[in-house]
Amino acid sequence: MTIHPLSSDTAPLRQLRQERPDTTSAYDSTWTERPEAQAPEGLDRIMGTDGKIYVVLAVVLLIWFGLLAVLVRTDRKIDRLERELDAGGSRDRASRDEEA
Amino acid sequence: MPASASPIVNDRLYRFVRAAVALVLTGVIVVGFLGNIPQLDILEQSARNLYFHVPMWFTLMVATIISAYHSLQYLRSGDRMRDLRAREAARLALIFGLLGIVTGMVWARFTWYEGTGKWWNFDPKQSMAAVLLLIYGAYFVLRDSIENRDARGRIAAVYNLFAVVTMPFLLYIIPRQLPSLHPGGEGSPAFSQTDLAPAMRWVFYPSVLAFIGLFWLLYTQRVRLAWLRDQLRDEPEL
Repeated sequence: MTIHPLSSDTAPLRQLRQERPDTTSAYDSTWTERPEAQAPEGLDRIMGTDGKIYVVLAVVLLIWFGLLAVLVRTDRKIDRLERELDAGGSRDRASRDEEA
Repeated sequence: MPASASPIVNDRLYRFVRAAVALVLTGVIVVGFLGNIPQLDILEQSARNLYFHVPMWFTLMVATIISAYHSLQYLRSGDRMRDLRAREAARLALIFGLLGIVTGMVWARFTWYEGTGKWWNFDPKQSMAAVLLLIYGAYFVLRDSIENRDARGRIAAVYNLFAVVTMPFLLYIIPRQLPSLHPGGEGSPAFSQTDLAPAMRWVFYPSVLAFIGLFWLLYTQRVRLAWLRDQLRDEPEL
């Protein structure tokens, strides 16, 4: 799929069709591609309700889960270290160096 | 050195950053959802993702630069802790990069590509970011493939220095030459007055700083852990 460059004749057309306060139009993006979309259904409809706020929720949850995964992984490393410490000097050094 | 002080990090600094991150990130989440934003077509409320998706990439940039700095120091000094620091920073860079790319996919899929079912749209920035993540993924593959610790440290450090120079090209220079749904094609957004609404700046900048702070906390934790493992390995009697 290609992304088309901003063409000068389509942009003003969009501006005309959509009315909005002048204070916000300055911040609008220049993205002019119009992908062929079907009527939203299923997941798309859920995500599209209330001004797409659920997209933000999904993004925040993804970051949260990612951070949780880091937490769990660090925990596992601590566990392993504790066990190693528990085993004390009884373990031979060779097997330890392998883990490095 | 007092017995309670960590040899890796300044305890007071760590506690201060931890408190600041907790406070600021909480504020960012609350204001990020409730604050006023300009109403734009297509974007609508999803513009709030600016506070969460974009800081991932700022954090990745900081993490890769920290990682490269420690790689450079490792090559200079041969201090094993420098290698461990470079590794942990690169690991977190990869994690924040993955979060950035996944959140970007979800954002685009349900906003600009709503109803098309397209999870991957080959936006130049998206594709180049994926290339960058592969480059950093290869850093860990390279590390794991070398048995000898000193050789591994040196080779990985040299690779890491090459990896970091691709970062600005892949994240900034190349994507900005191409039409994209990311901002920046018209020039530097940093100097643009219309790129980011004033009301959003006051949430966005703290959010970037808070996520970088969060990275630093996680990074410091992992470096402390790596140091402990390293100590344990050197003293079988411990």
